[in-house]
Amino acid sequence: MMTQLVSHATSRRIGAFVFALLLSFVPALAVRAQANLSSQGFGFPTGQFSTRTWGTGGALAELDPLSPVNPASLALIPTRLVTFQIEPEFRSVTTASGTDRTTTARYPNVFGAIPVGRGWVLSLGASTLLDRTATSVFNTTQFLTATDSVPMTTQFRVDGAMDDVRLGAGWAPASWLRVGVGAHAITGHNLISITQSFADSAQFATFTQQRVLGFSGGAVSAGIQLVSKLVTAGFSGRRGGNLDLSSEDTLLTSAKVPNRFGASVAFTGIANSAISVRTSRDDWSSLGSLGTPGLHAVDAWDTSVGADLAGPRVGDRILFLRGGFRTRTLPFQAGDHTVTEQSFTGGLGSAFAAGHVLGDFALIHSSRTASGLSASEHAWTASFGISVRP
Amino acid sequence: MLKKVALLLTGIAVVFSIAACSEKLEAGKSCPLLCPEQAITLVDTTIDAAVSDTTIAGLPPIGAEGYLMLASHGDTVETRAIIRYDTLPQSYTKSGVDSTIANIDSAYLITPIVKPDSLRRPKAPVTIEAYDVDTTATDTVAAILAPLFRPDRLIGSKTFAPESLLDTLRIPVSTDSVLDRVKNGTKLRVGLRIVSTQGVDLRVGSTTLGLGVTLHITASKDTAAAPVNVAPVSNTPTDQPFLSGPLSDYTIVLNGTTRTPAILLGVGGVPSRRSFIRFNVPSRIVDSTTIVRASLLLTQSPNRRLDPHDSLYVYPLAVLAGPAITDISSLLQFVGTPGQFNLDSLRLAPADSGVVSFEIVGLVRTWRGQSSTVSPRSVALRSAVEGQSPGEIDFFSTKAPAAVRPRLRITYVPQTSFGLP
Repeated sequence: MMTQLVSHATSRRIGAFVFALLLSFVPALAVRAQANLSSQGFGFPTGQFSTRTWGTGGALAELDPLSPVNPASLALIPTRLVTFQIEPEFRSVTTASGTDRTTTARYPNVFGAIPVGRGWVLSLGASTLLDRTATSVFNTTQFLTATDSVPMTTQFRVDGAMDDVRLGAGWAPASWLRVGVGAHAITGHNLISITQSFADSAQFATFTQQRVLGFSGGAVSAGIQLVSKLVTAGFSGRRGGNLDLSSEDTLLTSAKVPNRFGASVAFTGIANSAISVRTSRDDWSSLGSLGTPGLHAVDAWDTSVGADLAGPRVGDRILFLRGGFRTRTLPFQAGDHTVTEQSFTGGLGSAFAAGHVLGDFALIHSSRTASGLSASEHAWTASFGISVRP
Repeated sequence: MLKKVALLLTGIAVVFSIAACSEKLEAGKSCPLLCPEQAITLVDTTIDAAVSDTTIAGLPPIGAEGYLMLASHGDTVETRAIIRYDTLPQSYTKSGVDSTIANIDSAYLITPIVKPDSLRRPKAPVTIEAYDVDTTATDTVAAILAPLFRPDRLIGSKTFAPESLLDTLRIPVSTDSVLDRVKNGTKLRVGLRIVSTQGVDLRVGSTTLGLGVTLHITASKDTAAAPVNVAPVSNTPTDQPFLSGPLSDYTIVLNGTTRTPAILLGVGGVPSRRSFIRFNVPSRIVDSTTIVRASLLLTQSPNRRLDPHDSLYVYPLAVLAGPAITDISSLLQFVGTPGQFNLDSLRLAPADSGVVSFEIVGLVRTWRGQSSTVSPRSVALRSAVEGQSPGEIDFFSTKAPAAVRPRLRITYVPQTSFGLP
């Protein structure tokens, strides 16, 4: 656990190296596929979880300083720290027409934090709020006139995500209290390209159109953590401001960044361990006006339970064992059908290099369904998280 | 140690990052069930976009033919091929030593031809006659050259069975005539005529494509004597190699010159002609949409005058000249190569009729966002065998009745606001 890390002398060179590495990943914060249940609308909410939190199904989200959810948890960070994650996902989507298998990569969370004295910790990071990267390919035949038709193949590709860049501050005025605030810039873009190719390439020429949709908005967040010997509780909320969607220099639509509220309660009566339950609610429906009238966004609960337990020692390191379960509603309907997700998670974590490096791994199996829709989706996601404290 | 471990871990992270980037994103079996974005609708429209058109005869210009047309159809079409040997060598090599040509054992015209396909193969033996057509008068004019094809100027001939018309013909020519020119250092200009009991066409190689008719001279029976091969060379007009070069060999038409009426656009024929069509396509289509198909629809008018069923390829070509050139004849000489801009050809027979469609989307797309001065909105039509074969394809022009005028069918993708879910 973060509070139990051993502090050692810093290494500026390592920090600089890792930070440069992190910066190199920032432009590729999100990539994945479409023609599925999870990436409807403006995309899939990755949850803004650290790998550690993923291991507990998300239950530690309000308490974990590596998850950019509750700014109060920043006060837990004792030294300068940089962190990033890699999350490849292997997904299969099954409908009556068959099964599509896709492999996608995600880099959903990167940030750095630095203590500034008197219990204050500042943090700057970026995480994926909604990831829309997707590619679908399908064949159709279009009738141009009563006697003239053309078979064609359409590739619809979307690259990009709506990202949450947070400048946060956490403060621990007392050993039992931590508070924090965050200022969020909602940014990012979707690069959409359509390519249509034709079976009759002698008459018809392939065409490609591209369009970039950019997001710009803001939000503020605040959180609090209450600590006792046996129980730690965390609460946070985000208040959304305006969110604009534009193409080049043209404002297309406006909406509000979804408000969010979440709470985690953890039992910490076991040494180096936490057993937690969490629930949160996102007002995704506020994004409804950002798309076409056919876009259906729904407010969603996200509930999870999980444990982060100190396991066996390997050498002088504690190996943390994690497990959890999560159930939630995804923000965008498929047609008129609400999509739900259940996930079972497990994970490992430990400290290396005398506590200077934290390594976490989580494996998530998710099942997504939409009531009334004959489609199902299953995904294995592997999350690798590395944090370095120079 | 600390540094090494940290570097190792970051290295592992990089490896995982790269591995994770090996994505397989494409999916589509769940479409349209889960795919909110469907194929974009195409719009199809046919417009009278041709605002002017014309046919220019005499293109390619004399001497620029890829092959020389040797045709004999009586009063319908009669052509001759003229080959100039304005420089003749006066020595030959024997055992590595140069010797002056004092005698000529044999002389031939090595004549490359295009092997007639099964449909065009002559049905009767053909005779190719060679005449001395040297004259001090202007010898690119049919009226001056035609009288020179007379018996007293005949310097050689040979008759060929139809099946012997393969790739190269050897036509013997008078050794005395050749020797006289060699000794006197004067030019030899040969006119070829084809004769048969039935109408016949033959395509003879020209210097334009590096396949000129070679004069093959054997100066000695001694096998050690190297034969002399003389390529066509023209020295007139003097001091103007730009003009004299193409005149090394060329075709002249004695009979059968036709004109294309204003209501038609002609391609090929005798003399060879090209057509020019200028368009005016609305900017709302060219500049504001993505065009996926552009078909130039032309209504063919049957031409049964000559070789009505011998098909030939007709190419649409981009006109590359800028606005400084306004003369249509000149414009039609500054055209792209066949296939450029993915312009596809059509194989048509002169006697055909009905609407034909030339696909010119590759060219029309270049008009987007460009003024007509930068990207001329025009198309040239030419025959693949122009100047080589008498077949002519005719289309109705903009001066014909409305129903058969040139039209442009455009299929396009309207400007869409796609991408919003």
